Amino acid sequence: MKRFRIFALGCLIPASAWAQVAQPAQVAQPETPSRLWIVAGGASGTLRGFCQDCGQDFPFRHGGALVGNAGYRVNSRIDVGADLYWIQWRNESGRIRATAIEAVAQFRPWETQGFFVKGGAGMAFVRNWVQTVGPNPDDQKALAVVFGGGWEFNPKGPFGLQLFAMQHVGALGDLQTANGAIANVTANFWSLGAAIVIR
Amino acid sequence: MRDRFGQYLQASPTVFGGRPACFFSILMIGGLLLGDARRSAAQEIPIPPQETPIPSEGTLIPAQETVQGDQAPAAIARDPGRACEGCPPRRVGTSLLQTTGINVMYELANLVRGQVTARITPKTWWTNMQQGMVWDLDDFTVNQIGHPYQGNNYFNAGRANGLGFYESAAVTAFGSATWEFFGETNHPSLNDFINTTLGGITLGEMFHRTGWLIRNTRATGKRRLWSEIGALAVDPITGANRFASGDASRVTDKPSEFVPSSLSGVAAAGVLWRGSQSSAFTAAGDPFLEVDAYYGDANVGRSRTPYDAFWLRMRFGGGSSFSEARVRGRLFGQPLTKGGALQFSVIQTYNYLNNDAYSTGSQAIDAAIGATRALSRRTNFWILGWSGLTVLGAVDSLPLGVTEKPEEEEPSAGQGVSEGPRFYDYGPGSDFGTLARITRDGREMLLFFYVGRQIYSLDGVRANHFLQHTRVDLLLPLRGALGVGASAEYFHRRSYYQDVESTIKTFHYPQLRAYLTWGNR
Repeated sequence: MKRFRIFALGCLIPASAWAQVAQPAQVAQPETPSRLWIVAGGASGTLRGFCQDCGQDFPFRHGGALVGNAGYRVNSRIDVGADLYWIQWRNESGRIRATAIEAVAQFRPWETQGFFVKGGAGMAFVRNWVQTVGPNPDDQKALAVVFGGGWEFNPKGPFGLQLFAMQHVGALGDLQTANGAIANVTANFWSLGAAIVIR
Repeated sequence: MRDRFGQYLQASPTVFGGRPACFFSILMIGGLLLGDARRSAAQEIPIPPQETPIPSEGTLIPAQETVQGDQAPAAIARDPGRACEGCPPRRVGTSLLQTTGINVMYELANLVRGQVTARITPKTWWTNMQQGMVWDLDDFTVNQIGHPYQGNNYFNAGRANGLGFYESAAVTAFGSATWEFFGETNHPSLNDFINTTLGGITLGEMFHRTGWLIRNTRATGKRRLWSEIGALAVDPITGANRFASGDASRVTDKPSEFVPSSLSGVAAAGVLWRGSQSSAFTAAGDPFLEVDAYYGDANVGRSRTPYDAFWLRMRFGGGSSFSEARVRGRLFGQPLTKGGALQFSVIQTYNYLNNDAYSTGSQAIDAAIGATRALSRRTNFWILGWSGLTVLGAVDSLPLGVTEKPEEEEPSAGQGVSEGPRFYDYGPGSDFGTLARITRDGREMLLFFYVGRQIYSLDGVRANHFLQHTRVDLLLPLRGALGVGASAEYFHRRSYYQDVESTIKTFHYPQLRAYLTWGNR
């Protein structure tokens, strides 16, 4: 470990020396705003399943969720990119994980205000350890849609913080279980959370 | 508002005593076809950059000398909230309020018609919020045309208040989501949310641009009023906003982004004969009227303005009163070669096909590559190939043992709102296709169209559907704009059922057409 520290310091010393020399030579360039849009955070999620033909109410379940966005700042009001949403929850029989990957667009109607709305569509992947057909978990794909809104603090700066409320919808088609397939299943995930924003 | 209408009434007292405004569709076709007359002028107008700098408040802009009539003001004070002289002022809050107002109007209209789903209360709102989104069971026409049309109103609440294309898309999603949760008692619907939002964007921008084609912002008096009423019939939200704000009587230039680089259309009237695997061609043909309109030139140019080029096809008759609607709007365009012979585009599409033999509809985003080649001095060849994602597609449910398109039952709740069963499947998928055209002296001689679409059914009969649609048109000029044409079409469906035997079934529907054409490309 000590050798590594010495090596790392050895690498950094010439770099800092170069920086000191190079600095006076730099010409002031007009600052180009970054086009990068990154959001990373966490949320508390609530979910509920539904199927058209089974005629029963499913209970609400709760779990922790991770949220991430990466993309492109189109202009001062609009960002587009990919949305990643990961949630895990448990019931009495085991755990289920869902991951949604969507193309999203975020829109801030008022440039100087932090209020934003967001929407998109993509795919969800559900990994189910509950009531599976065999010993392994069942993996299923689903059509996913997301929409929601929130408030971003410091929307003009390179770093910001956002509070959001989102709803993800996953349409699974058939849900495979040990008791047979359940037809026309949809799942709704409501999330309240916070995330840091980098632009 | 009343005062402004009063001014018009004084200027033209017979306006409201005459015939009511025509159907929006007729006006839209008329606008696109008759707008051809202004094409040459439009083509010659050099289009300035989109982002016109906004001058400081109170800046006076001299009126152009081309203004006709004595009502033209000598100078127009430019509102700093407007992106250009003829653009609407930017009002974000108003657009969201109007979107909510549109929902209230639809809700009241449903209530007056006695629709049970319109009896909303705060309790139904809370129930819907707790329930989340589900698939709904409404009629094909309600879901595939009604909802996109409603979405077009939300979209134009944004456009009418000075918002850009993508900003208005967000307003559409807002309107759609609030309608689903708060506008009806039945559970919020996932398919409605997608159809209203994506279909609303496609139809909305198409109607908005068509409205701007009809509107003559340099005219005054009665001529001006009729042009504004015509545009209002096509795009009611923008029209109403313009009458309310007084823009309907202001003499300005059109916003440059709504002046297409070219404009043309072909109307065809004729008879079609359709067959299926269980029956030969019908002896008695179905009459039809079809319109193809081309706004802008999708084959060339660097484009960052969504829908500066789009293609529209609508067909009335031919198996149902309204049997086909297709809109393909360019979102992005980039030449790949120096001369522009090779072109890359991103296209948003809306498709609706509904006749007595089959029904299908979809919302898709495609990436396309097009190539243009001059075959001779007078003959040109253009080919476009595309591939993309079908966000949501719909096709008839044909459970095993059923070979004919099922008749939709009378809606159990009235006005197309049904408690089931639904007779078509929903699901996402993919698509690809090609379009090739040979033109001679600018007139279309040969048109070939093929699209393949895969729909993975997530709601309905569990199957993977592969739909193929091919069409070839041969056209000959007769005299002037008049021509004659014949086409052969083939719709093929192969369904891979997810039953124990993994059954595969195919269905096919050939079609022949003979028609007269008017207009040219």
